[in-house]
Amino acid sequence: MNYKKMHTALLLFLLNAVLFGSQQRTIKDDLGFPYIMTSPPQRIISLAPNITEIIFALDLGEKVVGVTRYCDFPEEASEKEKIGGMIDPNLENIKALNPDLIIGFRGNPLRILKRIRSLHLPLFVLEMGTNLETVFLLIKKIGIITQKEKKAETFIQSLRKRYDKIQSVLQNVKHEPKVFFSLHGMGLWTSGRESFLNDLARKAKAMNIAGNVARRWLHYNREELIHKDPEVIIILSKSQREFSKAKQSLKNEAHFEGIKAVATDSIYFLDENLATRPGPRLIDALEELARILHPQFFETER
Amino acid sequence: MKAKTKRLRLLFVLLVLFFTGLLISLLEGPVETDFRDLWDFITNHDKTLGTIFIDLRLSRALLAFLVGASLSLSGAILQGYFQNPMAGPFIVGVSSGASFGAVLSIYLGLSIQFLGFSLQSIFAFASGFAIVSFVYLLSQRKGVYKVETLLLTGIAAGAMASALTSFLIFLKAESFEQAVFWLLGSFALSEWNQIAAVFPYFFLCFILAQWLAKDMNLLVLGDDVAQSLGCPVNHIRKIFLAVSTLLAASSVSVSGIIGFVGLIVPHWIRILIGPDHRHLFFFSSLTGGVFLLYSDLLARTLLFPTELPIGIITAVIGTPFFIYLLSQRK
Repeated sequence: MNYKKMHTALLLFLLNAVLFGSQQRTIKDDLGFPYIMTSPPQRIISLAPNITEIIFALDLGEKVVGVTRYCDFPEEASEKEKIGGMIDPNLENIKALNPDLIIGFRGNPLRILKRIRSLHLPLFVLEMGTNLETVFLLIKKIGIITQKEKKAETFIQSLRKRYDKIQSVLQNVKHEPKVFFSLHGMGLWTSGRESFLNDLARKAKAMNIAGNVARRWLHYNREELIHKDPEVIIILSKSQREFSKAKQSLKNEAHFEGIKAVATDSIYFLDENLATRPGPRLIDALEELARILHPQFFETER
Repeated sequence: MKAKTKRLRLLFVLLVLFFTGLLISLLEGPVETDFRDLWDFITNHDKTLGTIFIDLRLSRALLAFLVGASLSLSGAILQGYFQNPMAGPFIVGVSSGASFGAVLSIYLGLSIQFLGFSLQSIFAFASGFAIVSFVYLLSQRKGVYKVETLLLTGIAAGAMASALTSFLIFLKAESFEQAVFWLLGSFALSEWNQIAAVFPYFFLCFILAQWLAKDMNLLVLGDDVAQSLGCPVNHIRKIFLAVSTLLAASSVSVSGIIGFVGLIVPHWIRILIGPDHRHLFFFSSLTGGVFLLYSDLLARTLLFPTELPIGIITAVIGTPFFIYLLSQRK
């Protein structure tokens, strides 16, 4: 091979790298596994409802081929093919949909994620985090892997704006009420320090009485509830009907009569799906929570 | 001669059942497929169908078969060993012990390979072995096994190991799914390298058991008699205990605890072809495999689209049988 030939070969190689090399990028997912980015994904499978919500918010609804049986928002999502649940996604169904991107999260069993990877399916796993900021990060990451970075950026900006607005409305709040979150249908299940709800409470200027426990979910003690004496109780439920049932059962409990929230009838409804899914609608949940906890600040606004 | 035709007939039935089960396993699943798809895959090598048929369904069916064979062989050995029809890897506590070991190694984050063995299966074996030795020592009184003590110690030790397993899973706050897998078993995530992990153990243990089957026939006559007939009782006992534990531990480390298989299958075989261990071991393995193959089919189709843990199926079939055996003892 003479010098000139080598020169041309090198030039071609460089040209190739400039033209096509930039299209291929490898990034690591939150479990540390590499994900190779080529052309924008056309067949996406989501392994969690909040991921589905984010994907749809980035105008990628048409590219979604599979979701979990819990993905019911936006409405179009529930019409997509179901691949199972969050803890029991079905490998066969996933494979048959022939996806070019599967977005999972740390709540999917690790064994299943590992098996998906061993079938050589393109998987990207996300850490969910514990606060509102991590939701922005989630949107950003999903924007990157679906190559919708710009859209993700503007979307995050719009969410941030709404967040800043709530913060400025609430800046003069003097009294932060003590609040107890009740996850309906599960006794005194509530959310601890590592839950999104705890973060929402903080940002809505309230104090979660279970916020000192370093867990995501926990079963609260009855005695402790009476002792902490919350001023507001928020019941998370799927519907108003479920809510009124849960509220009635709280009020019927004789020991709870003395609790401030019960005595003053400060028991409110919050949509469970809104407040427990770390997706874009967490901002909606924050707005609602702020209105419930500090109605006087929002009256003047209207 | 008559016994031989009986065995041949049984072998024929089992093989037919095995291949039918395998075919149903290949065709049945969440993604609808029929003979034409299977044929299409064989002739055109479609990649997606290939993954579904070979990597997901075939590996699952064969792993279920292999685990069933291992557990039944383990049970057949334990029943001969304890000279007791109620022994079995689940009843004696080996399965629960092995499951605890496997979960412990995961909890400690030990996923290293050591001399080709994963630390997980070493832990599973060690803790299964510890439990079975414990039960063995406690249930022995001057060389005689008391059935009640054996059963009670086994069940108690097994319950303790299961409780510790649950505790570890709870500590790690890993999902509920983990607990269900380790305590009730599942083949939902089968893969070929699991088959590669279990098969050598099974093969080795099967050969050993078959080779020593004659000695097991002597052991059943009582240790003294066996000794006087030239059987090195102590060595043989040690080998059999290790073999049965190894079989149970290797199955548990890929599939979680699947109870009662090792208890009921050797019984059926004993009723069908008699107590000669030379045939008992072989037929127990084959029947156990076929039994678990069908149990897994039920587990994944009964509540479609969700799956049942296979341990529920085997327990539902196995428990009445166990109770029946207990009532027969009086």
